[in-house]
Amino acid sequence: MNLYDLIVKKIKDIQGADDETPVTNISTSSMLTAEITLISSILVALIMLRLVNKVLMIVAVLVVLFTFLVAMPLMPRFRKEQNDSLAAMMFYVIVALAIVITLFYWGNLNV
Amino acid sequence: MNPLIPLMVIVPIICALFLNLLHKKDRTIKIIAIILALILPALPILANYGLHYFGGYAPLIENPSLGTDLPSLITGTALNTFHPAITYSFQSAQKLFVFILGLVGLLAVFTSLFETRRPSGVYGYMMFMGIAAITAVLLTDDIFNLYVFFEIAALATVGIVLVSNIKGNYETALKYMILGGIAAPMLLLGVALLLGVTGNVNITDIIYSLKNGLVNPQSPVLLMACGLIVFGWLYGSGLPPFHTIKSAVYSKALPSGAALIQAFSVFTFIALGVIILRIFSYLPFSQWVILGVSLLAMILGITMAILQTDLRRMIGFLAVGELGYIGIGLGLGTVFGITAGLFQAVNEVVITAFLFIGFGTVLYQTGISDTRKLGGMMVRNPKVALLVLLAGFAMAGVPPLNAFQSKLMLIQASINAGLPELGVIMILLSIVTFMTFMKAFHAVFLRPKPADLEIKNENIPKATIIALLVFLVVCIVFGLFPQVVTSYLQPLATNLGGVV
Repeated sequence: MNLYDLIVKKIKDIQGADDETPVTNISTSSMLTAEITLISSILVALIMLRLVNKVLMIVAVLVVLFTFLVAMPLMPRFRKEQNDSLAAMMFYVIVALAIVITLFYWGNLNV
Repeated sequence: MNPLIPLMVIVPIICALFLNLLHKKDRTIKIIAIILALILPALPILANYGLHYFGGYAPLIENPSLGTDLPSLITGTALNTFHPAITYSFQSAQKLFVFILGLVGLLAVFTSLFETRRPSGVYGYMMFMGIAAITAVLLTDDIFNLYVFFEIAALATVGIVLVSNIKGNYETALKYMILGGIAAPMLLLGVALLLGVTGNVNITDIIYSLKNGLVNPQSPVLLMACGLIVFGWLYGSGLPPFHTIKSAVYSKALPSGAALIQAFSVFTFIALGVIILRIFSYLPFSQWVILGVSLLAMILGITMAILQTDLRRMIGFLAVGELGYIGIGLGLGTVFGITAGLFQAVNEVVITAFLFIGFGTVLYQTGISDTRKLGGMMVRNPKVALLVLLAGFAMAGVPPLNAFQSKLMLIQASINAGLPELGVIMILLSIVTFMTFMKAFHAVFLRPKPADLEIKNENIPKATIIALLVFLVVCIVFGLFPQVVTSYLQPLATNLGGVV
């Protein structure tokens, strides 16, 4: 199954539509664009790791690229996670609070 | 002392109270709201630069006669320079920000009054209270005072959503309040820790204490305070992980309300971002956090926007994504980068309001915001379609409109700072923004009209068209003469760039 078919299948899963319900060109091309944008933006952003260490940058880019290729399509998953469920929002808020505090407290003290 | 400085906050509060008291007296509400809304952008133009001390308590050093009978423990130490009163600072950047907030407020109030059959005093109250709160957030040099108005702005935002009468608005408002119930106390805790370590809530005095060794800048409590204030900043501006709820809030407000709420978010972003840079500039880590969060907001906001089928939700996500551009400018930390970021903030406030009110005309006429059920609106309103198209061009950064100048400056700033990758990402995401907008524009205006689409209101109010034209003029003027805007922002950027 190629990426296009995978995306169409995922859109149907998200919409809860049966096989008879058509998936439009617009929704598929939007999902593809979002997918490509997400992957390319993250990969370009990872190149900034060169400022820390060039080897780390190369390893990070290769690992993330491989992970993305294996896990594609990513956008349907991202969309599912970024829904309007209060439980999901609360979860990410608590995770973000923990990350921010950890980074500022221990990051600044130990780096 | 300049009496016009506190009036910028007092006038909208008084107007809000009057509108609430006069609820149901339609004509009176309309007249009061229009007159006082006209004063909002006029006040910052008329006011002179300077400081305002509430209660008149200037620092002792500015009034030596008061200190003659005081012990040297006070007059001979830093206490002599500290600010005992809540201090409002009005400089060139604040002048521009308060003017733009007042202009967006005026046009949002103007639109709302003419798009509803019966103007609501309660809705007007919420709008004016929000404007007053954000003006105070922009002006205050007191971090506790900022927190108080930050909370008032959050409550006004919830109020604007509650009175919108859009399906699901109560649920979204409740969720926003619950998440605010976690994030806002964290911001307050950060402020309390700062007070605990420095003994001060005045930002200038806190910076003095840090720079002159009165407190240990590497104190773990200060690091914790910085983390908590950053978390409050994420909530106030709608950065990840709050981008989902913020875009939902925009989509559950009336177009005039959404235009105003996004202005609140952008100015909260700027006010708290500037404070983080001013106080914690000695921690290079804080800049990297600003850059990282901004990058995440851009990527998540814009990729989520293109997947949306609801017009308001799509603009809401785009607005979150555009916040990232501002953050990149601030996070770069150079004078040029900060100027570009602040310029982008001004542009974003204008353009997003332009888009919300422009697409709001479709909602006004059809009562529908789902792009799958819309179409053929170009035939009905070619002039409005052209205005909305230009708003979309402005957001994507098409020359000669304003965001082209600010985005170009941001890309140049990132290259100058040795981070061309950021420039590449900004270009890529601008293209996707353009595509997202064109997708919505095609669905609403260019596609044939669906047979079952009903037009509920034939004529768009002239007030709405005037508001759109004013936004367009601002976009063109700022695009053709960017130096008009950047000259106001340069002093603040130089100040911040000097300390970062």
